[in-house]
Amino acid sequence: MTEQWPNHPKSFLRRHLGRNVGTEVFGLFAVLFLGLVIIGPMSTIVLWAFADRWRAPALLPTEWGTSYWGETLQRADVLTALPFSILLAGSVTLLSAFICLPAAYSFARIKFPGKQAFLLSFLATNAFPRFGLYVAIAVVFFRLGLVGTVPGVVLIQLVNTLLTMIWIPTSAFQNVDRALEEAALDVGAGRVRIFFQITMPQVLPALAAALLLTFVATFYEAQGALIIGLPGVRTMATLMYSYINNQVVVQYGAVISLILWLPSLVLLAFAQRFLRGNTVSAGFGV
Amino acid sequence: MLSALAGYALIAPPLALLLLLIFFPAAQAVVRTLLVDADIGLTSGFTTSRYTGFFGDAIARSNLWFTVWVTIVTTSFLFLVCLPLAAYLRFSTSRIAGVVQVLALFPLFVPGVILAFALIRYIGPRGTVDTFLRVVLNYTGFVTPYLRPSGIIFALVWDHIPFTVLVLTAGLRQVEDSVIEAARDVGASGLRVFAQIVLPLIQRPAMIVLCLNIIGIFGSFTIPYLLGPAAPQMMGVYMAQTFSEYQDRPGAETQAVIMFAACSVIGALYVRTVSRRRGERG
Repeated sequence: MTEQWPNHPKSFLRRHLGRNVGTEVFGLFAVLFLGLVIIGPMSTIVLWAFADRWRAPALLPTEWGTSYWGETLQRADVLTALPFSILLAGSVTLLSAFICLPAAYSFARIKFPGKQAFLLSFLATNAFPRFGLYVAIAVVFFRLGLVGTVPGVVLIQLVNTLLTMIWIPTSAFQNVDRALEEAALDVGAGRVRIFFQITMPQVLPALAAALLLTFVATFYEAQGALIIGLPGVRTMATLMYSYINNQVVVQYGAVISLILWLPSLVLLAFAQRFLRGNTVSAGFGV
Repeated sequence: MLSALAGYALIAPPLALLLLLIFFPAAQAVVRTLLVDADIGLTSGFTTSRYTGFFGDAIARSNLWFTVWVTIVTTSFLFLVCLPLAAYLRFSTSRIAGVVQVLALFPLFVPGVILAFALIRYIGPRGTVDTFLRVVLNYTGFVTPYLRPSGIIFALVWDHIPFTVLVLTAGLRQVEDSVIEAARDVGASGLRVFAQIVLPLIQRPAMIVLCLNIIGIFGSFTIPYLLGPAAPQMMGVYMAQTFSEYQDRPGAETQAVIMFAACSVIGALYVRTVSRRRGERG
């Protein structure tokens, strides 16, 4: 498509940038600002992960390469923490789904007194300052001998998952088209069959969103794992604290950051779909 | 129809977790700080000695005020940055708006530890920004925010941008174009339309995001721990140190309860705002 510069540059801008030129100038400024502030730091990590050598005052790595990837992945602490973290986040997510999804169905579809109040009580997980709550839990866990154990870490990470795993599926079950279910009932379908063939397909996207969000959030959860897990339990996320504080080789941290970031990229790929609806906001009570 | 009994049975497991992992530890912490004497460790009836101990300690006091200060400054910056962004995203449908949305939501996919690591390499001493200023602009006066309060504030704003923009934009989308155009037609200025028409209409989402940001920033740990100064500390860092390094569990418990008290009004406001809205809808 060839476009000629017209006699009136302002009308040209209007056609290309939308009705309001001033608004889009702000937009360009926002892109520049967010690019510098948000993409800048993240691209620095990528550069470091592929730098075999980077000495000040060079603007870019002096020698590029992937030699630190092999070295990082052979480190004993990484070798134990990576599979453990994946297993831990997976178990917490499944356990949370097992506990919360039936409750979400109940909140959406069954009538019982006090339902609203019970549903709202899960907001408490957001209403307490997170780290204060962790310390209060840690004091109790210490007396029970759960500090430094895997069950202790699983329990504290479950706290974080409750709201997401109940509120998102609850609103999904509430939005199911009841007329479809009744129609299926009229033509003689059984309740179990209706649940799996009519109800489930309608809530599946939201359930997948809840599972994915929970997995990623748990995989990254570092604060609870740090205060309850240490010294016995080390996840990838808690490993990062020591790499930031005590590790002189920058590349180790950069490589671990990129590996840690992988699940987020998966989430990012699906994000457009969740963010368009109100799926994520539903997890915060908005 | 499933009976109410089945309803209760299905919600019982997560409810039990909520009671055991949140309400019980929180309530117990409150009771214990008021009953158990810090020095003796035995139950000696009602006492406020733990609290007088906290507020008698200059370091503890300065940490608490520092946390309040960081929370207020960060929240103000957040709204200053996010309200224009959200307003822009609400009113523009251009391709530039698409880019702005992706960029603004990007931090949602970056966990705190990675953010801290990235910022140290980016704005830390001899980081990318420092090097760029030195080499390209020959400017050597860059003062790094790393290990300074400004480092915490910068990172916390970064971290909370996506959620704030997401909720504010969703709120603004519920304001009809016709309402704004009507006000414009009778000659109201852009700022006046925003302050008198738009703002009251998005009061609820704005209130929810304000409360969650305040609580989230007040109770933060990772960012102030990795990017903040050694003194004063934010409460999260101070508590972790009291609990893990000094092994002073009663002390950490007292600090946690003070944190709960400081955030209680905001927490209640959050729950009330959300529940009022759901009540109206249902």
